[in-house]
Amino acid sequence: MTAPALAFDSLSRGDAFPAVDLVVTGADVRAYLEATGEPADRWSDRVPPVMLSALMLATLLAQVEIPKGIMHTGHEHESVRAARIGEALRVTVQVTSYSVRRGALMASFDTEARSADGAGDEVIAISRASVLVPPADGTTSATEGNAE
Amino acid sequence: MTAPTVEPVTRLIDQPRVDLYAVAARDPNPIHRETPEAYSGPFGRPVAHGMLVLALVSEVMTNAFGEAWERGGSLKVRWRQPALVPIEVTARATLRSETDGVATYDVSCEDAAGEALLTGTASIRLES
Repeated sequence: MTAPALAFDSLSRGDAFPAVDLVVTGADVRAYLEATGEPADRWSDRVPPVMLSALMLATLLAQVEIPKGIMHTGHEHESVRAARIGEALRVTVQVTSYSVRRGALMASFDTEARSADGAGDEVIAISRASVLVPPADGTTSATEGNAE
Repeated sequence: MTAPTVEPVTRLIDQPRVDLYAVAARDPNPIHRETPEAYSGPFGRPVAHGMLVLALVSEVMTNAFGEAWERGGSLKVRWRQPALVPIEVTARATLRSETDGVATYDVSCEDAAGEALLTGTASIRLES
């Protein structure tokens, strides 16, 4: 695994990351369900929607240095259809907001997963992740969000 | 189809579960694991991934709607406080409205004391 290339504080609104190819295997799904505790029998051929959302977010985490203390404060996800296990997907990430208030950095990232199988370019799911990076002096309330 | 009652799900989120999740979700943030960063961080101990907590909401919706949840289901949530592990989490969804074939549920995840960890909404198009 290569180190993330981008510093978080170098981002700005409108930045778009290079598309990332993603294939979710059956082993990936089984490992995810073992971790979450959700029954596995219903997901023999498809990817749970929130798993896909987490992996879409992971494409961002792989490209950006994670700031100390970052908190995942909000999340939106819309599933158009379930991704199939083994389906070739292409994930894009864009910075949709980026601001600093009272030393705290707030940003949101839109991610989109499309089918890359065949000639299709079908949207499978879209997500928006909102994050907060508290100021270095730690003055932001710990109840403002959950670490991610 | 009439919007069904969604049954809650309760699950223990402990450190082994979080460690498995960190690998499965490809989230390398050390604040979730038993690391110096977690113990010196703002919460003083490891915190479960927000997306691991959110997974329980998707699970209760899948239990109620099956594959329909995957076709046009949507979530919008905010985390209210960190899930410090180990923690017993209950995910709930309560019908708020049913309009033009779309059911909207208030969703939440709570700890054993009933304190909200996550709140928001889940919407789904009801299939005939």
